Amino acid sequence: MDIAVIGLGASGSQLARQLAISSVERLSLFDIDARRLRRTTTAVEAIADDATTEVTSGPILDEPVPDVVAIATPVGTQLELARTWLSRGSDVVTTSDDPDEVSGLLELHDEAVEAGRSVVVGAAFVPGLSCVLTRFAADGLDEVEVISVYKAATGGPACARQHHRALKSSGYDWLDGEWVLRRGGSGRDLAWFPDPFGARDCYRGALPSPFLLQPVFPAAQRISARMAATRRDRFTSRLPMLRPPHADGGPGALRVEVRGRRDRAVETIILGVIDHPSVVTGIVAAIVTEEVGSGRVAPGAAGLATWDDPAALLRLLWPRGVRVASFDGTLEAQLSEPAPTISSVIDADLAATD
Amino acid sequence: MLRLARRVVFAMGLTGLIATLFRLRGSGGVPPQSGGWREITPSELD
Repeated sequence: MDIAVIGLGASGSQLARQLAISSVERLSLFDIDARRLRRTTTAVEAIADDATTEVTSGPILDEPVPDVVAIATPVGTQLELARTWLSRGSDVVTTSDDPDEVSGLLELHDEAVEAGRSVVVGAAFVPGLSCVLTRFAADGLDEVEVISVYKAATGGPACARQHHRALKSSGYDWLDGEWVLRRGGSGRDLAWFPDPFGARDCYRGALPSPFLLQPVFPAAQRISARMAATRRDRFTSRLPMLRPPHADGGPGALRVEVRGRRDRAVETIILGVIDHPSVVTGIVAAIVTEEVGSGRVAPGAAGLATWDDPAALLRLLWPRGVRVASFDGTLEAQLSEPAPTISSVIDADLAATD
Repeated sequence: MLRLARRVVFAMGLTGLIATLFRLRGSGGVPPQSGGWREITPSELD
């Protein structure tokens, strides 16, 4: 399998590292920043198996057409790259979380089907893992009525800039059969993320999740997405970023709430993850890239909510350290033994490591 | 006075009947009283 990674920022470098420990015969790394390219190439070469994986790198991708091109460049650049590599005959995996770009990538569907290639849209933390969890939760219901996606924190600097833009921009919710434009920073909702992340006020913004989920759940009455923000975030969202973003904005969290009916009874399934968004993006994108390269993904352009077997994808994420938590309501009679929390599991892992 | 009492009894009976119908026909079950986050294990993903 011949794979190219374009963009070696916080998420792209994690993606390259994950692919280096996979069954990839040729891994080509590209970035316009020479220092970043050199640093990531050195790290990847150190962990790749020389006997099975050939690692090459350069500023411009002008070598033979790879089987799969994984794009982790800043938002706004991914659509053009995806279009270019699709036309050259590669499968494409993207990580964008910009709603306009995601819509543009989904519009490549007919072109991808015609070429017999796959364009995976939003193989990241949110969207990406959030879409997989939504599908996993929805598969446990007979019908889906309401989907709510929440996210907190960011990956690298490019992700933080997009997060800042998203909070001040309007986004779309799916409401009773039509798209409704909502003002960014409105609609405060207190969302409880897995322990120890806890509760965060979340607001509307320009988030792509509804665009990726609505085609998969057309009968849902409401599909919305919100992002965590503080008062300061909301106050300064209309201003340029006052200081450079952190190299990594994690740890972060996501929460997916799916309400529907099972056996005619109303049921709500809540799933969540806490981890560094850049790391999880790298893991999700790497696994999806391998799956695409193995020919296990149907041609077309779609998000991860279309994945036929979300549980299988979650099983692949597990050995790489991505842990999913479920918020389970419990009747008083069942409370004699409290369920283990993520924090207790992390503490136990740390104790075992020490 | 007797008429008022009869009406009250009738109203309460009707309320009870409707409540019983909702109770028997309703499909919501007993809502969770409390809960918490727990990690999903690989066996639950099979």
